[in-house]
Amino acid sequence: MKIFKADFDCPPWFSSSAKKLIKRILDPNPLTRITVAEIIENEWFKKGYIPPRFERADVSLDDVDAIFNESRDSRNLVEQCEEGSAVPATMNAFELISTSQGLNLSSLFEKQMGLVKRETRFTSKCPANEIISKIEKTAMPMGFGVKKNNYKMKLLGEKTGRKGHLAVTTEIFQVAPSLFMVELRKSEGDTLEFHKFYNNLSTGLKDIVWTTTDRGKVEEKDGDPFVPNSPKSAFTPKSENSLKNSSKALICITEAIVPKEATSEQQKAKGRMHTKCL
Amino acid sequence: MCVYAYIYMVFFSLQFYDFGDKDEWFYYRLCIMNAVTVNEVEALYQLFKKLSSSLIDDGLIHKEELQLALFQTPYGENLFLDRVFYLFDEKKNGVIEFEEFIHTLDIFHPSAPIEDKIDFAFRLYDLRQTGFIEREEVKQMVVAILMESEMILSDDIIESIIDQTFADADADKDGRIDKEEWKTFVLQHPSLLKTMTLPHLKDITTLFPSFVYYTEVEEL
Repeated sequence: MKIFKADFDCPPWFSSSAKKLIKRILDPNPLTRITVAEIIENEWFKKGYIPPRFERADVSLDDVDAIFNESRDSRNLVEQCEEGSAVPATMNAFELISTSQGLNLSSLFEKQMGLVKRETRFTSKCPANEIISKIEKTAMPMGFGVKKNNYKMKLLGEKTGRKGHLAVTTEIFQVAPSLFMVELRKSEGDTLEFHKFYNNLSTGLKDIVWTTTDRGKVEEKDGDPFVPNSPKSAFTPKSENSLKNSSKALICITEAIVPKEATSEQQKAKGRMHTKCL
Repeated sequence: MCVYAYIYMVFFSLQFYDFGDKDEWFYYRLCIMNAVTVNEVEALYQLFKKLSSSLIDDGLIHKEELQLALFQTPYGENLFLDRVFYLFDEKKNGVIEFEEFIHTLDIFHPSAPIEDKIDFAFRLYDLRQTGFIEREEVKQMVVAILMESEMILSDDIIESIIDQTFADADADKDGRIDKEEWKTFVLQHPSLLKTMTLPHLKDITTLFPSFVYYTEVEEL
């Protein structure tokens, strides 16, 4: 082809210095071809040339990119932004309602194909700042970098998994005064690894998750404002039998359970799955 | 819908049980009516078959079968399941047929128009189908979700959650949310439509690959 042999002609109105420069640019041999630095020094090029000035941006785009563009995979760790400058987003009634299993039709596909959910959630009564720092403290030793933006966090796995690095987005919503819902979503990487990660993470988060554990730990609350008419009652955990652990489930979402002397009749009448499994 | 679509629907119902023949004409018709391709229709049918035969093998999805699919148990009451089933069952004959299944599932496709999703969500939450989402309906739904997630909150807290929501959504302060207010509200809070999109629908043919193999029809 002509270009490989540098077989071209410049139009006659080109100046000779322009022709010379173009010849050096269109050099098929990369070793002898002119470099950009040399082009900038070229006489013809320099005539009337104003070099562009690049303003140094004050804002680091890493925060913005990481939090708001979940498909990007940026590595830099960023500093924490000022705490207490904002409150967690409030979950309105409809957002709460949309967490229902009856409205989550993706389980039609997931159950059929053995796929697993890409998100999970738990509730907590600890202050939102405490939740954030607890998640951070638990995730970092597991090999995850943490980026924070108000009440949204991105956890980036340092190890490469089956489908690249695992990235998890965490968001905290306020459901009611001092009741928060924490949502964890896989944004990149393998879903099974996300499950393993959450399994490990939730053991570390036991203190902040509002629930009773499988081991039958009893939580005592004094004058719990969340439970009407119960000033100082100890809450008995649900029996082992009522917690169904399906063999197919990889993770069970821990639930906020405040049983009020639930009898077996009540439980039967409710007839619900007591564990939501992914 | 245009006249052709109605004609096709008639043919469709007549040929429902001939689904086993790889009837090209049949598939093309479904595609004209819905935002799905031929291979997707095949794949969705396989899903439908699985769901509709889980308890009663009659080629129809009963409420218990939908409940089983979503809750892993056919027992129990759930307000939202009732609503979803009600909207899928367009003919209101107590069962979901394949045609109704595809037609409604279509709204959940990532490429479906957002107006359809907004409208479906509105009808979902308008429990008594009055054309408005009344405050009592919202309360009923909040109580239902708290029961489902086994969270007990005091009535004051429930009221305050609803107060805040209505302060946001009920522009004319008449104690109920009309279609327009809902539309505005949803566009301000896009996460409300999260449940209205099923990304799996996009790659459903990869979820059911054996059926793509058997399909002789080219993708439109």
